[in-house]
Amino acid sequence: MALVRKKADFVGDTVQLEAVGLRYADGPEIFSDVSFAIPQSSFHFLTGPSGAGKTSLLSLMYLAKRPSRGKLMLFGDDVTDAKRNRLPAIRRRLGVVFQDFRLLEHMTAFDNVALPLRIAKVSEAVVERNVSELLKWVGLEEQMQARPSVLSGGQQQRIAIARAVVHRPKLILADEPTGNVDDAIAVRLMQLVVELHKLGSSVIIATHNEHLVARFPFPRLHLNGGKVTALPPMHASEIGTAAS
Amino acid sequence: MIALRSELPLKGDASGRFVVWLVMVLVFMASIAVTTNAYIGALLGHWGQSVTGTLTIQIPVMLDAKDPTSTAATEKVLDVLHRHPAVESAAAVPREKVTELLKPWFGPGEAVADLPLPVLIDVRMSTSEPSAISAVSNSVQTAAPGAVIDDHRAWLNRVIGLAEGLGAIALTMMALVTGALALTIVFATRASLAEFAQVIDVLHVVGAKDGYIAGQFARRAALQSLAGGLAGLVIYAPTLGIIAWLASRIEDGILPDVRFPASLWVTLAVLPVAAGAIATITANVTVRRALSAKV
Repeated sequence: MALVRKKADFVGDTVQLEAVGLRYADGPEIFSDVSFAIPQSSFHFLTGPSGAGKTSLLSLMYLAKRPSRGKLMLFGDDVTDAKRNRLPAIRRRLGVVFQDFRLLEHMTAFDNVALPLRIAKVSEAVVERNVSELLKWVGLEEQMQARPSVLSGGQQQRIAIARAVVHRPKLILADEPTGNVDDAIAVRLMQLVVELHKLGSSVIIATHNEHLVARFPFPRLHLNGGKVTALPPMHASEIGTAAS
Repeated sequence: MIALRSELPLKGDASGRFVVWLVMVLVFMASIAVTTNAYIGALLGHWGQSVTGTLTIQIPVMLDAKDPTSTAATEKVLDVLHRHPAVESAAAVPREKVTELLKPWFGPGEAVADLPLPVLIDVRMSTSEPSAISAVSNSVQTAAPGAVIDDHRAWLNRVIGLAEGLGAIALTMMALVTGALALTIVFATRASLAEFAQVIDVLHVVGAKDGYIAGQFARRAALQSLAGGLAGLVIYAPTLGIIAWLASRIEDGILPDVRFPASLWVTLAVLPVAAGAIATITANVTVRRALSAKV
């Protein structure tokens, strides 16, 4: 796949959180005083036990939620209280893979993957070329015109990943992106993300899959008890220990 | 054709059919209101034109019981009128014509012929100035005290009052129809927003602007309202034909034969387009407002 992209047009970290807290309505804070920075072209795993708030932390970064307090910066822009009309342009630089895929059932696999390009008003010729190429790469050339409901969980997951990366985003946020596929497909999908990372995308992958984390030598952000700890790449010998 | 592509599955949406039916009924009602207003306008024009600058003088029966048209009082009045500079023409209405005018109320029998009828004198003024009408009235009263002079103003004012009242009702009906249309679109749009909340979230995540999403709802509302509006006009056409046929059966003298102005047909043709425009604006505003509450 020919992935050509422009050089990053901002200076500094892709993501920056300063003393960020998040609470739902009047409930307790899910996490508090979270501070970390994701440099440009970096790759991180986001780990932590179930219910630690990994999905909520990702949703802050893809602008589905706003911090209750603290400061959130994306691509050098302070988006903590940014006006709504500024958000679409920032979101177009993101690629998000949801744990539950969130594919649009009334659309074919092709149209689902094409969605970010069409929203960005990319020409249909380019849409046709890039989407077909990407769907072939993830092994779904035979299912391009199929509706998500007739596809297996693993196939749906591959469509979700393809949709997240088709527009070559500067930041890829993935929530358990390999949860429903076998190891061979999981590795192939990870290779796609790693390739995009090599071309300059920053990547944050939230996952429980310790084997996957141990297989790729990327640093971790470990979320536990409402706090984030930066950890080095996981060694295979750590699989099954508390820090994962 | 990116501009016409719809990422929201609004076509098969249940509220769509409901909107088409409702708009059809609303445009049907609006057509009635518009036609009523135009008919009243045409009637007023007709009546106003036929009575402006005219007087009707009534010589009561007791003044001249034997042979009204040739009696002294009538001749005296006619003489005064013919000599008056503000009078263009004056002539006693033949008894046959008076009898004819009364036929719708008394029937075609002989009863009317035996009635003691007053003499009516039709006067056409050369001016409709109130001072001239007043001068003619004074001259007639002097010549024949007891003669009743009707410049039709009181009657016309009452008719205008009635017409204005009916016109106001028609306009109120139009305002209610417009409000009902807007509310229909608001509720249908909100229902669709709730139904497709997850799709909208995905569109936002991939960078869709509120205007892009609102545009899809607005386009759907416009097409549905246009379709409903055209259907409303289609069912109104035979209704208008039936009303016109029923009106044509009423005898002359009660309702004059008036022509609808061309503007009525233009207004009726514009109604579906207006419904589409109202729906577009309402859906757009509703979606934008709802989305502005999101992150």
